Amino acid sequence: MSGRTLQINERKVWILETGKGAPLLYFHGFADVHSVKESWIPFHEKLAQHAQVIAPAHPGCAQTDENKDIDIIEDVVFHYLEVFDALKLTQFDLVGSCVGGWIAAEIAARHPEKIRKLVLIGATGLFVEGALIGDVFMMAQPEYGSSYASLREMLFSSANQPNALEMFPDGKGELEDEVRRYQMLRFGSRIGFKPPYFYNRSLKNRLHRITSPALVVWGEKDAFVPRSHGETYAKLISGAEELKVISDAGHSVHVEKPDEIAKLVLDFLAE
Amino acid sequence: MKPVQLFCWHFMAYPYLDKDFDEKQYSGWVTVPNSLWDNRKARGLYQEYIDQLAYADELGFDGMVLNEHHQNIYGLMPSPNLIASALTQRTTRGKIVILGNLLPLHMNPMRVAEEYAMLDQMSNGRLIAGFAPGGGPETFNYDVPSANTREKFWEAADLIVRSWTEDGPFAHEGRYFPLRYVNLWPKPLQKPFPPVWIPGSRSPSTMAEVAKRGYCYFLSSRSHGGETHRAQQEFAAVLEKHGDRYHPFRFGILMSTYVAETDQQAREECEEGVWYFLKNCLKGHLRREGRQLTYGPGVPYIPAAAWREYLKGYTPGRKLLGDVENWEELDASQSIIVGSPETVHRRIQNLIEKAKVGNLLIQFQLGNMPDQLARKSMKLFAEKVAPALRHDSLKQFTDEFPGANVEQAAEALH
Repeated sequence: MSGRTLQINERKVWILETGKGAPLLYFHGFADVHSVKESWIPFHEKLAQHAQVIAPAHPGCAQTDENKDIDIIEDVVFHYLEVFDALKLTQFDLVGSCVGGWIAAEIAARHPEKIRKLVLIGATGLFVEGALIGDVFMMAQPEYGSSYASLREMLFSSANQPNALEMFPDGKGELEDEVRRYQMLRFGSRIGFKPPYFYNRSLKNRLHRITSPALVVWGEKDAFVPRSHGETYAKLISGAEELKVISDAGHSVHVEKPDEIAKLVLDFLAE
Repeated sequence: MKPVQLFCWHFMAYPYLDKDFDEKQYSGWVTVPNSLWDNRKARGLYQEYIDQLAYADELGFDGMVLNEHHQNIYGLMPSPNLIASALTQRTTRGKIVILGNLLPLHMNPMRVAEEYAMLDQMSNGRLIAGFAPGGGPETFNYDVPSANTREKFWEAADLIVRSWTEDGPFAHEGRYFPLRYVNLWPKPLQKPFPPVWIPGSRSPSTMAEVAKRGYCYFLSSRSHGGETHRAQQEFAAVLEKHGDRYHPFRFGILMSTYVAETDQQAREECEEGVWYFLKNCLKGHLRREGRQLTYGPGVPYIPAAAWREYLKGYTPGRKLLGDVENWEELDASQSIIVGSPETVHRRIQNLIEKAKVGNLLIQFQLGNMPDQLARKSMKLFAEKVAPALRHDSLKQFTDEFPGANVEQAAEALH
């Protein structure tokens, strides 16, 4: 693992980097590097065989300083514009999962020139009538004092999925894993707790501004972000192929099926 | 010096749940289906509860306590100010304590400032103004993003007090509640402003904020083992650090009691209401069963560093008040003190001695306890327990806190 700190406007931003190749920025979600794990998960290691993978931790996550001025997604977008400048990145591939996918889509709609190719995995961000994004905060409150089964069920294909049990075990987990989970919920609560719940109603009408090719991937059993959100992304981003639905996987499809998703992403990036 | 102040706290539970509620329902909070509300039974319920509070005033309690809860069976007061308003017209002497309005849930804190000012005028200066940030369930009730709850809370609390004390109109250039014209009509009656009470659960930062402003700290715990006097010692130390001195009326606690002629009779009479309260009203709040909303990572209102410290000492699945399995365990928790006047006096006296607490906020009506039992217990308490507590506490406080100026400036008006 190779991590370093960027200093941006008095605030520290923690990033991990691995691999060689064209720059690929990765924005994490709830079950992910920085939001649970200190280091890479297999999905990223596979990407790193063909790209320079750079993963910043969102404000308040892992060792990135918290930013109390973040109220809406716009604030996160500007935070990342600063990060791109600090990294001296002008054009890159952008891959985002879950909330990270939302941030990626918002950036691509505003700055299409920066994005070579865009990958969205189970991305939040859209309002789709009748298909509300799940309440991850309620699910993060334990049942029977110590069970996170319903949180696992929301973020994975089932409560007993092995990765789910490793990342969100019942009872006491690894202390620093638990702290990172908490930090991610805290960051998430700033932009997704109150209505709008992890969405921006305006985003839908802006997606046509994305000019890069795009790949949209969804777990068949996503219980956090309904599949119709993926269909909407795929339909409204003109450079997007048809939605790729991965069978026997839930919301955290990149955790559950790292080989399959990494191959899909790498093939798409190499096209 | 003055003796311990004894307040009657009513939570206004929904008392008409079927016996199989606990078995069938997942929670008593936020998601508890409101199809369970039965108008045929509930008609007149508020009247019964308001009458009990008016009775407390007649019996000579020092005040009546109300608080705000939403979407639950534990407390049917989404707006305690409405009940307080009724009490201003039904009572004449006791304080009216609202503990408190949940400031982050209000779009505009001026509404709270205005309503509290109205209540202070309507009650002839009897309001004690509580401000609370709300906890887990409340976060879900009104979708309050928890990462900034505390900041929002203190901005609102300070703005309200400023609107009571500073002549308007003035502009408030706040982070969360920017307002161009702050100009309160009416002003509160009490000067400089009504006493302010703030609940906390031993977090040092809340204690420090309360101390800084000279307010009264209320320990929002329902169990009174060692925690109560530790909280008192911690708060006293924080006050010292802020160049202030502790006295018993800077501190308040919540407790529940039931008094009857004998210990055995007391237990027999209150047991149904007590178990209803523990198993139904606390489900989702202070019970492990179902989903406990009150603490947990889904409501991340404290900074991550504080959460790490909390996790180090935390045992998942630990028993909470509502998880007690038998009467003996309940008794040991010192949360609900049940017995004859002698027993109840002895145990509360013991608590006052140790915790040096001047404001006792006491819940009498528990769960589905019938009106006549709640009233009988209140009367026995007022006649057979309160006088001795007042006598003993006055002596204790005079000895232990010589020269303490316990009369708040606000009370000089009377």
